[in-house]
Amino acid sequence: MMKKELGLFLLLAVISAITGAINPAFLSFVNLLNMANLIGLFGVFALGEGLVIITGGIDLSLGSMFALLGVVFIDLLTTYQVPWPLALLLVLMGGLALGGIQGFLITRLKMQPFIVTLCGLLIYRGAARYYTSDSTRGFGYGDEASTLSNIASGNIGGIPNTFIFLIILALVLGVLLHRSVYGRWLYAVGKNEEAARFSGINTNLVIATAYVISGGLAGVSTVMFVFYTNSVSPSSFGNFYELYAIAAAVLGGCSLRGGEGSILGIVLGTALLQVLQNLVNILGIPNSLNFAVMGTVILIGVLADQQLQARRRRKAALASLARTAPKSKDSTILQSAALPTRAGDQA
Amino acid sequence: MVTPHDAGLAVLELKGIGKEFGAIRALHGVDLRISPGEVVGLMGDNGAGKSTLVKIIAGNFPPSHGEIRFDGKPVHFGRPIDARAVGIEVVYQDLALADNLTAAANVFLGRELKRKLGPFALLDHKAMAARALELFGELRSETRPHDLVKQMSGGQRQAVAIARTRLSNAKLVMMDEPTAAISVRQVEQVLSLIHRLKEQGVAVMLISHRMPDVFAVCDRVVVMRRGEKRADKAIGDTSPEEVTSLITGAKEAA
Ligand SMILES: Nc1ncnc2c1ncn2[C@@H]1O[C@H](COP(=O)(O)OP(=O)(O)OP(=O)(O)O)[C@@H](O)[C@H]1O
Ligand SMILES: [Mg+2]
Repeated sequence: MMKKELGLFLLLAVISAITGAINPAFLSFVNLLNMANLIGLFGVFALGEGLVIITGGIDLSLGSMFALLGVVFIDLLTTYQVPWPLALLLVLMGGLALGGIQGFLITRLKMQPFIVTLCGLLIYRGAARYYTSDSTRGFGYGDEASTLSNIASGNIGGIPNTFIFLIILALVLGVLLHRSVYGRWLYAVGKNEEAARFSGINTNLVIATAYVISGGLAGVSTVMFVFYTNSVSPSSFGNFYELYAIAAAVLGGCSLRGGEGSILGIVLGTALLQVLQNLVNILGIPNSLNFAVMGTVILIGVLADQQLQARRRRKAALASLARTAPKSKDSTILQSAALPTRAGDQA
Repeated sequence: MVTPHDAGLAVLELKGIGKEFGAIRALHGVDLRISPGEVVGLMGDNGAGKSTLVKIIAGNFPPSHGEIRFDGKPVHFGRPIDARAVGIEVVYQDLALADNLTAAANVFLGRELKRKLGPFALLDHKAMAARALELFGELRSETRPHDLVKQMSGGQRQAVAIARTRLSNAKLVMMDEPTAAISVRQVEQVLSLIHRLKEQGVAVMLISHRMPDVFAVCDRVVVMRRGEKRADKAIGDTSPEEVTSLITGAKEAA
C-alpha cells in the first residue's frame, strides 16, 4: 500500500533535484513558496475528487462549480454587501448542495456519474455566464472582505495559508478515509457495491456523501481561487480544473475502476503536477507544451505503476504457493490455477 | 434427529413465496419450513430459483407474493441488515467479497469493531485481525487476516465468506454453493462446519449441485424446478437417483 506513495515521493524528489540542478531558481525560496501555494489551491478539491473516484465515480463539474459559485460569491460581497462570514457560508452550502444533487441523481436515480457531472459542468458554466452576461466580476475597492482575503491569500511565517489548510484537510480526510468506518465502506463500495450492500452497508448514502464532500471542498476552493485571482471571468474561471484533480488523483494511485487510492497519494499527485508545470516554465520549455508534458508523465506514471503491481502480484502468488505446497496437494493445484496468466508476462 | 415437518417451532417458515422480475417469474408458490438444528439441502437446475429464494430470505429484495415467518413472527426485511439482526447469515454464491480489502476487513465488513478516541470512533484493526484469525483457525483454514482477498485462492476466499457468518450467533445460516470451486480437503471442512452448526442448534440451508455433499450432511432435501418446489423429502426417504430425476424433470414431483 505505502509502496506507491514512496515511489511517487521519490519521483517527485528526483524531478525536483534534476530541475534544481539545471536551474537553481527552481529551488529558490520564492519559487518553492509559490509552488506550495498552488499545491494548496489545487490539492483541496483534488482530495474531494479522489474520494469520488474511490467510489468508482467521477466528478467533471468542479471547474464549472468554481465559476458559478465564484460569481455568486463576489456578487454577494460587492453588489449585495453581505457580510463575508455569511457569504462564505452560503458558498460552502452552495457547493454542498450541488454535490448533494449530483449524489442524489447518481445513487437514487441510478444515473451514471460521468453523465451527471458532465451535465453539471455544462449547466453550471452556462448559468455563471448567463448570470453575469459573460462579464468579469471583481472586487470594487478591495475592502469588501479584507479579513477573509487575508486569511485565504495570506501566509504564516511565509508559508501560504492555502498550503497549511491543505495539510490540515489532508490529515482530517486521512483519518476519515484510512481509520474510520466510513472510509472502509468507501473502499468496499468502490470495489464491489453489491458485496457492500449485502453486508448491510447503505451504499447509496456512502456514495452520495463522497459527492457532497467533493462539492463542499469545491466551495472552499472557489473562495481560495477568488482571492488568488481577485476576479472571476465566468467563461474561463476554473476551466479544466476538474481534469487537474482527476490527473492528480490518478497519478496518486486512484484507480478509475474504484476502490483504490490514498490521501497521501492524491496530495503527492497534486504536488507532482504542480512541479511539472513549474518545471516547464523554469526550464524555458515552450508554454504551449505544458499539457503535453503533463499528459506524457501521467501516461508513463500509470503504466509503470501497473507493471510494478503485476510483478508484485506474481511474486505474492508464488510466495503463497511456496507456503502451502508442502501441506496440501490439492490446494496447491487450486492456487496455481488462481495465478495470473503467465502469457502476459513481459519481464 | 429432527424429522421433517416436526411439530416444534420452525425457525423459518415460508408461505406461498413468489417473485417476478418484470416478465420473468423466478419463483412461484414456495412453501418451506426449517426447524432449529435442521440441515436442509436445496437443489435444482441452473435458473431454478435457488439463489433468488436465498436473497429474498436474506432481505436483498422483497418477495412479490407470500409471507415469511421467522421464529414464529411474520417479518418484512427492507434491507440485508434487518435479516441479519434477527439471526440470518448468508454465504453468497459469488461470495460477495471486496477484493481490494484484507481478509479481516471483509469478515467484519458492515459490522466493524471500533475503538473510541475522544468523540471519534476509529477502526480497531488489531481486534478485528485477532478475531478473524481465531475464526479462520476454527475453520482450519490457513487464511491470514492481513492478506488482500484478491490474492487469495478459491478456498481461502470461501473461508472468509464463511467466517463472516460466525461473527454473530446466527439462528439460520444459508450457504449458496459453498463447495463449488474448492478442493476436496476444503469441502470436508465446510461439511464438518455444517455439522458443528447443527450441533449448536443452528438451522442450515445448503444449496449445492453436488449430490454427495447434500446426502452427507442434510436431514432433508428440497428440489426446485422452474421456480416451484417439486419435492421436500427426508434424506432417508429418497435417493440420489430420485433427486436427479426430480431436478431434470424426468420425474415431475414427489
Ligand atoms: N435480478 C434479476 N433480474 C432479473 N432476473 C433475475 C434476477 N435474478 C434472477 N433472475 C432470474 O431468475 C431465475 C432464477 O435465478 P436464480 O439465480 O435464482 O437461479 P439458481 O437456481 O440460483 O441458479 P444457479 O444454479 O445457476 O445458481 C433465472 O431465470 C434468472 O435469470
Ligand atoms: Mg444460484
